[in-house]
Amino acid sequence: MKIKYNSEIISGLIFSLVGLVLWFLIPSQVQTLEKTAINAQTFPRIAIGGLVLFSIGLLLEGLFTKEKREIVVTAESFRSTAFKKEMRSVVYALFLIVYCLLIGRLGYIISTALLVVAVMLFYRARKWYYYAIPLGMVGVVYYVFKVLLRISLP
Amino acid sequence: MEQFLGGLEILAQWQNFLIIPLGLAIGIIVGAIPGLTSDLGIILCIPLTYGMDPTMAILMLLAIYCGGTYGGSITAILINTPGTSANAATLFDGYPMTVKGKAFKALQMALFASTIGGLISALALLFLAPQIAKITLLFGPAEYFALAVFGLSVIAGVSNNSIFKGLIGACIGLFMATVGMDNISGTTRFTFGSNRLMSGIDLIIALIGLFAISEIMMKSQYDPRTDHKTISASSITRDKITKDEYRRCRKPIALGSLIGVIIGATPGTGGGLAAFIAYNQTKQSSKHPETFGQGEIEGVAASESANNGACGATMIPMLTLGVPGDGATAILMGAFMIHGMIPGPTLFKEQGNILYAIMLGLIVVNVFMYIIGNVFTRFYAHITRIPYEILAAIVLTFCIAGAYSTNNRLYDIYIILIFGIVAYFLRRMDFQLVPILLGIVLGPLAEKNFRRALVLSDGSLDIFLTRPISCAFIVIAIGSIALFAWRNHKAKMAEKQAGAR
Repeated sequence: MKIKYNSEIISGLIFSLVGLVLWFLIPSQVQTLEKTAINAQTFPRIAIGGLVLFSIGLLLEGLFTKEKREIVVTAESFRSTAFKKEMRSVVYALFLIVYCLLIGRLGYIISTALLVVAVMLFYRARKWYYYAIPLGMVGVVYYVFKVLLRISLP
Repeated sequence: MEQFLGGLEILAQWQNFLIIPLGLAIGIIVGAIPGLTSDLGIILCIPLTYGMDPTMAILMLLAIYCGGTYGGSITAILINTPGTSANAATLFDGYPMTVKGKAFKALQMALFASTIGGLISALALLFLAPQIAKITLLFGPAEYFALAVFGLSVIAGVSNNSIFKGLIGACIGLFMATVGMDNISGTTRFTFGSNRLMSGIDLIIALIGLFAISEIMMKSQYDPRTDHKTISASSITRDKITKDEYRRCRKPIALGSLIGVIIGATPGTGGGLAAFIAYNQTKQSSKHPETFGQGEIEGVAASESANNGACGATMIPMLTLGVPGDGATAILMGAFMIHGMIPGPTLFKEQGNILYAIMLGLIVVNVFMYIIGNVFTRFYAHITRIPYEILAAIVLTFCIAGAYSTNNRLYDIYIILIFGIVAYFLRRMDFQLVPILLGIVLGPLAEKNFRRALVLSDGSLDIFLTRPISCAFIVIAIGSIALFAWRNHKAKMAEKQAGAR
């Protein structure tokens, strides 16, 4: 399958859609009792309206004036180095999402220590002190915040 | 004159010269940790000042304030994450300088520019406070709105090749600034029924997510075996600022300091806005604007002189009128009251000696900041030698703790991580993050004053053009955008002609 694209087309399309959804959400999400022409809905309308308009502008720019990249999607594409590199950022994002799920249950020290180890494994760190330094820092941060700054971390 | 000499006598006590470096060290450390701001540093240290005499106490807190504003530039330059919102404009050229191996030079310039900006601001506070306060009293809602529009015009200068992407970024920022409870009508906006979003999205949380987390994600494709560069300890501090660079930075520092003083003295604005405007004006007046954003030392000089230039100036409305200029000065105002001084027009009459001691002390604070900052700069510059995988893990640890500490909410940790992932996507699509930040910073100022101005004018937009200061800001903003558009057009034409040849 052949795909022609550029960043303008992708982002223009995504933000036009996001903007349109937000635009239609304004009446339900901003229920103001003000009777004046300028009210709590005005600024969200300016911001979201601008988002939709400029996104359409970007989309048109991407379609008609900017150069497009052409890629052919085959089974081989999923085994390419470029795809594997892209997947690394997806894995990193997954780490952060899992961390969000864990911190509420395990608390700051355990969940952050797990995140640190995951980051080190991700970069294939082999030396023991590569693990020890950031893990020690988790303890130091916890101590500084909890004892010195009196901010109790979860 | 009598009060001035009395102030000098109070300031000359040896204890003051011990407490100022301590306050500066705390400020620089707090400012350099993403998520911790000088505001938090001041709050945490207020209880320590209960037993001190008023001059010593206020000087310590002022040192934290100034040190924190400078300290935020350290992380902006080294890890592409501003320690405080005032240092966001330092990212433009500070981090590219680090990428080019000129981190020490950037840190040195940030310190030098911060010191000069701080000194000019302290002198303005000492000699021009009443006059500047009179000018800022002329600011009404229309002027504030026009000032915010002027600040937003910076987008044209930082959008690089795509103005559409810059404008989309600004709209995203403006939209995010509307989330939460509307201060004027009390209506909730885009909270999706969640009480946690009632207070909106905290600026510092947005900063950590947008810059720190996205930067860590951008480096997810880093391979330690091939990408790690070994840098010798001696080579880091070898590359110092040259005489020519000091000479080139004279104008940006002077301009930045002046803008810092004016914006800082205007209540409700702050160092962040001053830094953006100073950066934009320096870029526009430069003979080589194309080098800005790619590690131009003048960019660091302009933004850092402006944000520290605002430090002393934010005290002007507080001391002369009793109106705090920003969050930090609001806390400082509380500290003044704790120590028996009520800021306002009568303060100069009732406690003139102490007030002069504090204003003169601000000059000493900035001199000490240069000395102490030099020591810290040598230490911090070595951060660039740490293997990236260790640095990423440590930065994540600090960001998470810093985000939680802002409001003591787990929710803020979720927000920084979500923002980080979204910002990563935007960066991969060649979006600049600064327009989003500008939208978040200036959105509330613009909206609040736009609505107030229209209430005053019965809905007529003429108010923005009939008031001279407001009209001047709008004209400058339009002129500034037109100039950028013209320069971009010229650059594109030159590029096309070069391609045709």
